[in-house]
Amino acid sequence: MAQPSSPPQSGSEAVAERRGIPAASFVKDVEAYLNQLGLDVNSTLSFLQERIQQYKVVEMKLLAQQRDLQAKIPDIEKCLDVVATLQAKNSDEALLTDFEVSEGIYARAQIKNADSVCLWLGANVMLEYSCEEATTLLQNNLENAKASLEVLVADLQFLRDQVNTTQVTIARVYNWDVHQRRVKQASSSQES
Amino acid sequence: MQRAGGSETEVTWEDQKNINKFGRLNNRFHELEDEIKIAKEANENIEDASNELILTDEEVVRFQIGEVFAHVPKDEVEMRIEKMQEETSKRLEKLEEEKESILAQMAELKKILYGKFKDSINLEED
Repeated sequence: MAQPSSPPQSGSEAVAERRGIPAASFVKDVEAYLNQLGLDVNSTLSFLQERIQQYKVVEMKLLAQQRDLQAKIPDIEKCLDVVATLQAKNSDEALLTDFEVSEGIYARAQIKNADSVCLWLGANVMLEYSCEEATTLLQNNLENAKASLEVLVADLQFLRDQVNTTQVTIARVYNWDVHQRRVKQASSSQES
Repeated sequence: MQRAGGSETEVTWEDQKNINKFGRLNNRFHELEDEIKIAKEANENIEDASNELILTDEEVVRFQIGEVFAHVPKDEVEMRIEKMQEETSKRLEKLEEEKESILAQMAELKKILYGKFKDSINLEED
């Protein structure tokens, strides 16, 4: 996101940016902030509005990623369940399963002594693994997915904080402006 | 300096942090409500399945594991369903607890923020 550099933080402990998302600087004093920016009120307000739009774009992207991960995790758990079941059923009798051939059509399969499974790795690639290796691989994938989800959630929280801060700043700049106009009107009516 | 109408209560960094925290809690609260709804539905489904199991007189039940229906003896299915029931109700309990805690924190923050800003701030759902 190319944008004008934000004015220096006025004594806060916040981070300047997080994974490419710039932080919204907290404004201690509206007048000082406007002088620092060197813009008039309307330009400042539109600058801040633009910032919020940019944040919203990133938010959409992160929300989509979050939805994908949230769908992926139960899938991996289901696979782990199947592999565990195959491993546990090591007796001589075959495991009978009904699986979907096409929508509404199921066929029966006999699975004897399943020591290996094939895992779909994506990109039209499927590899055969022993049950133990498959479990390890799936566990790793599950942990990675959960860790990524955590980071993503933290990113989204950070993002929402920045949106909130910017919205409050907009309200304060606007209020300050209204206040200034009132003061000017009051003093000009006093003079006349 | 004369204050000509409109509140001029200064917003400090502490206030901003409180406002942001309230926003986060509110978002998490809505997410939790959705998750609780899903968990309750899952609970009901498992209840129904368990009831059906009692009624059936077949020895082998087609139980869904992953994407396939495996032929599983009735006893094993009973065990599995019981385990699923336990897990789901524990999860539901945890979610409800988190929801209570969040509501309490939000009430605290509301007190603080309304106390300082009175009418200049709106923390209600529209």
